[in-house]
Amino acid sequence: MSAVAPWVAVPAVGGALVAGVYATGVLDALAGRRRAGRPLAVGDALSLPWRRACLLLVQRGVSTERPDASAWMLAPALYGAMAAAALTVVPLSEGRVVADLRTGIVVWGAAEMLAMVGVYLHGWSPNSAFPLLGAYRFVAQAVSFELLSMFVLIAAALPARSLQVTRIVESQESLWNVLRQPLGLPLFVVVTLGVAFWGPLNLPDGDDLAGGTGAELSGPARLAWEGSRAAWLVAASAMGAAAFLGGWLGPWLPGPLWMVLKTLALLTVTVWLGHRAARVRPERFVVSAWTVLLPLAFLDLVVAGVQALP
Amino acid sequence: MAVRFLTGAAARAPVPVFPVVGGGARDGVEELRLCPGIDVVASPRAATVLLVAGWLPAALRPAAAQVHDQLPHPRATVCWARGDLAAAAETFPAATVVPPDGDVVAVLKRVHRGLVTGERDSEASLLPHEPPSPWKGVGPHGQGGEGMMGGRPYGRPMPMTGPDRDGLALDRLPLRVGPFFPALPAGLVLDVVLQGDVVQEASIAANAFADAAAAAERAAVAPGFGDDPFRRALREPVGVPLLELARAGHHLRWAAATLRLHGLRAAALRTLSLAVGLTSDALPRLAALRRRLERDPTLRWATRGVGRVSAAQLPAGLGGPVARAAGVVRDARLDDPAYADLGFRPVTHDGADAWARFRQRLGEAEQSLRLAQAAQSGAPASVARDRVESPQGELSTASAPSGLLLGLVGDLLAGMEWGDAVATIASLDFDLEAQPAAQVGVTLR
Repeated sequence: MSAVAPWVAVPAVGGALVAGVYATGVLDALAGRRRAGRPLAVGDALSLPWRRACLLLVQRGVSTERPDASAWMLAPALYGAMAAAALTVVPLSEGRVVADLRTGIVVWGAAEMLAMVGVYLHGWSPNSAFPLLGAYRFVAQAVSFELLSMFVLIAAALPARSLQVTRIVESQESLWNVLRQPLGLPLFVVVTLGVAFWGPLNLPDGDDLAGGTGAELSGPARLAWEGSRAAWLVAASAMGAAAFLGGWLGPWLPGPLWMVLKTLALLTVTVWLGHRAARVRPERFVVSAWTVLLPLAFLDLVVAGVQALP
Repeated sequence: MAVRFLTGAAARAPVPVFPVVGGGARDGVEELRLCPGIDVVASPRAATVLLVAGWLPAALRPAAAQVHDQLPHPRATVCWARGDLAAAAETFPAATVVPPDGDVVAVLKRVHRGLVTGERDSEASLLPHEPPSPWKGVGPHGQGGEGMMGGRPYGRPMPMTGPDRDGLALDRLPLRVGPFFPALPAGLVLDVVLQGDVVQEASIAANAFADAAAAAERAAVAPGFGDDPFRRALREPVGVPLLELARAGHHLRWAAATLRLHGLRAAALRTLSLAVGLTSDALPRLAALRRRLERDPTLRWATRGVGRVSAAQLPAGLGGPVARAAGVVRDARLDDPAYADLGFRPVTHDGADAWARFRQRLGEAEQSLRLAQAAQSGAPASVARDRVESPQGELSTASAPSGLLLGLVGDLLAGMEWGDAVATIASLDFDLEAQPAAQVGVTLR
């Protein structure tokens, strides 16, 4: 286990997340335009997140009637900080990882759980009906996808015989987990959409709730919240790339570039799904998560376990 | 310097606009979504410009003022009004007024730029910053009625516990939604009691577009208002192509709004751009779009089984797509000789749910384009009739389909999750403006 100095770690994780969030904004604009059958206008899409962010910085915040002001301010910070914490255990390449913990997968799971607290707090604190409904929905959704997350990541850890993410990457030298455990990556994409409540799993901030937990947001608070959601999408895509697509492994190109490309590929898939798939009904998602997806995750674990037998 | 750099970029961002949709303005506001520099947002908190479009009955103006005050600073109002500019100016004294045929997009962009760069002052609140009712309570903390709970602090009842569908005792949250909630038809005010995400009780408050006062106002301020081809066909002959293109356009706009509600914004834009300036030449594109949407498993998953209204549950005398999606063959066009010449047969489906209504309307839109194409060659003109098939159903001077459907809402929504309740209301396609005043007292709970 190696330790990275904070003055390196904080800018590295922060920079990676900001770049990833910006890329998410650009990819989302391009995917939306393509799906709508409109001109892509790549130049416009490249500057769109920047212009939007500037507008939100210029716009002033608002308050609701008797909010829990400190909790409302802390919620995006907690949710976003958990994305950053989760990303620390994901290696960029061999030896380039902020926290190369032997318990990396456990840290990831803990961050996911605490993110749930952040989202709930965000819905609860403005003292407003639609954000509160969004918060209820997220709790139902999160308890349904978080077991999935743990099962598929433990399955990915089995061939490595370690919960350390760098070991998991190294264990895919001969064959990537996406082929060895074909159920793992699709299930982890569901987790990715769930934890960032993106596209079909945007239940807490859906349009039927006028934006749900984000319905009362304006100005910098909205920027922080939307940024944190995209940050989770980036962090989970990076984890997906490491756990299932062999992380930095690959021919010709340098390792870090492979990792970035694989993360961007997964990010593109999730952003595309966001435009391709309709929002699921909350109850239907919960029921199918427990009756279909969870058994599939068990099966994934069994497949990984049988292969790992000596 | 840095600030100017920031505001310069902010001024070039898509203008976040929250629309307050009044009478006659629904299509115009929908079309704004196609403009690249405009971002029609779902919450007033996200907007810089409040767009008050169309004609607002006096009863809705206080609610519009409330929406205004929810916008963050810097904020401004643009009134895109039809006929009643004075009334708009009275409620929104600082608003920029655009006539119906004016270039509203350019004005929205100019106002936004002025606000962000500081050339234009942000508008002050219209209403006093105080609770809707005074704090009334008893007990050491003024909390109200029963022990720690109960009472009506600031005029709003506290959520008391009650049994829920799983046999638990949970808080019941009474909530009034509307009249400008973006996921509901403009003007609809829904009173619900929620337990978590589940609607326990629902009722619809008075339709401010259709009561006697509104009818009188409308006649006074906006002559010729709401004169769509279907209402005109009640008075004078209107050609079949015109009626059918209007019907197809209506159904496509409805489909676009429904897709957006279910999170498919890009597909909604594609559908909307087909609806604008629709001609019968668009038939192949519409057929392709329809095939694509009807095969979308996620959309089917989101709407199948939602808001089922079987033929037996339908109000007596109801026709239109909602009835035809439940397998009822009822269509005022069947009695019209002009349609008989074209060999018209109504499209029907038998699911009776939101998914069936979606496919029903897309099917009818495609059929309408075929009828319009066929009628162009022979050009039979429909004669003036006492009953006309509007996109919502059978229209006459005394009754409109929305009037009949509104009465269903209360019983239908009870027990649904909120998302399903909103999807159900959308699938019934209410046109609150079309409801004649005579029908109002009869159908509302």
